[in-house]
Amino acid sequence: MRPYELSLTAAAEAIRTRQLSPVELADSVLERIAHLEPRLQAYVTVTAGRAREAAREAERDIVAGRRLGPLHGIPMGVKDLIDVAGTATSAGSRVRADHRAQGDSTVAARLAAAGAVLLGKTQTHEFAYGLTTPQTNNAWDTGRVAGGSSGGSAVAVAAGMATFALGTDTGGSIRVPSALNGVVGLKPTYGLLPRHGVTSLSWSLDHVGPITRTVEDASLVLTALAEHDPRDPASLPTPATDYRPDAGTDLTGLRVGVPRNYYFDHVDPEVEAAVRRAVDQLQALGARLVEVEIPMTRYIQATHWGLMVPEATAYHEATLRTVPELYQADVRILLEAGELMTAGDYLRAQRSRTLMRQEWARMLREVDLIAAPTVPATAVRAGQETITWADGTVEGVSDAYVRLSSPANITGIPSLSVPVGQDAAGLPIGMQLLGRPLQESVLLRAGHAYEQTQPARDLARVRAAH
Amino acid sequence: MPDTALTPPEAARWAARAGLPLPADRHAAVAATADHIHSVVSLLRELDFGETVPAAAYRAGQEAHDATV
Repeated sequence: MRPYELSLTAAAEAIRTRQLSPVELADSVLERIAHLEPRLQAYVTVTAGRAREAAREAERDIVAGRRLGPLHGIPMGVKDLIDVAGTATSAGSRVRADHRAQGDSTVAARLAAAGAVLLGKTQTHEFAYGLTTPQTNNAWDTGRVAGGSSGGSAVAVAAGMATFALGTDTGGSIRVPSALNGVVGLKPTYGLLPRHGVTSLSWSLDHVGPITRTVEDASLVLTALAEHDPRDPASLPTPATDYRPDAGTDLTGLRVGVPRNYYFDHVDPEVEAAVRRAVDQLQALGARLVEVEIPMTRYIQATHWGLMVPEATAYHEATLRTVPELYQADVRILLEAGELMTAGDYLRAQRSRTLMRQEWARMLREVDLIAAPTVPATAVRAGQETITWADGTVEGVSDAYVRLSSPANITGIPSLSVPVGQDAAGLPIGMQLLGRPLQESVLLRAGHAYEQTQPARDLARVRAAH
Repeated sequence: MPDTALTPPEAARWAARAGLPLPADRHAAVAATADHIHSVVSLLRELDFGETVPAAAYRAGQEAHDATV
């Protein structure tokens, strides 16, 4: 196995036991980037020289007995919405053409303190306001969308162009591209990972989280990053925690909620079949399946839009007035139209969020987690704007991709997307596990148990558009 | 279009009142998008909020506490 193919967990173990040097690993991943980047366009910037220097420093420290932990010497990508001191945070936008971050975001600083090696900044849909990331191509079929908005991070991890990456998620932007590229994505509980130094799309819905090859990998990144930071007003006063799941696969006693409504409506039959097979596998490991009724589904999109649209418009207030022509058309029109929303619209969405939070808390007393598709369809062709469902209903691609993931942003609960197979065209399918607030460990345990009973996943086999 | 749909000049006037002067070639598109957003978020008017307090931001600590009750 070549170093770029290793999961974070496997690479960390190989480095710990001196079977692999961080320099060999960084060189291998950088060569993979050089080979695939022309076809995939996952990165905005690759800082190869800086990465090699950081890898050499990690190697010296580790040889000298100063290993910092599992992330030490591991090459990773950071979504270009997250500040890294001295580099541009372009946010996928011409508006940020001359940007230069003055300091590290909290998560970038914590990754650096853990010894991780920055490879570069990964592509995002402009200001994270979209679900496709048109600059980037899907890792499995270059004629299909990467998903978004953390499309570059997911494609890089799927193709071996980063051992792990960070993304952000306001309506599904970690989980959607993770599902569409066959990797693991974790949107933690709102406030668990600090957002200081991360460009906002919608303050009350934004999250930072890891995109990785395996669930265990996600637990390692979460462990390195989850700690209170007073510079993010939403940051929770949680103590540092070890999120690594136990090795066992016994899920006896775990109550897994299976939605009888919403999550399997207007879902591609192949996606539904793969997710139901994965749910059956959880049952085979000892979990008890419990049917659940998802509350207030009629108001999910209204609540999400009622919060996100005015908050995004507020964030961009100044530049929408000074340089509106620098925004892409799809983002500009949403920012402009957001100016016409009323305070009444926004307050109704906030009050609806209160009700939805209460109803979800009630539901989550009956089960330990909920299993559902992450997205209702696999990656669509680039440029495709709508999906037509079996009953003739036509749905916008972005509306479809965000539909099943936004409830976790509104309610703030953690959601973990895990690959559970492929459709007939070979495109990845994701299942999300949703849990109680701050119960990431339950999701990671169930996801890890599931993964251990499945064949090891290969990296994306990059195919040309067809 | 419902009776309350914005005409392009109305959209321009609303935007101007919000401090965003729109060029004339933006009026129709902004009116259409604003109407679409309105059609989505106005569903929330069906809800009976009673004494419900707005959640300006989600607080997970409070949620975890609720869950143990």
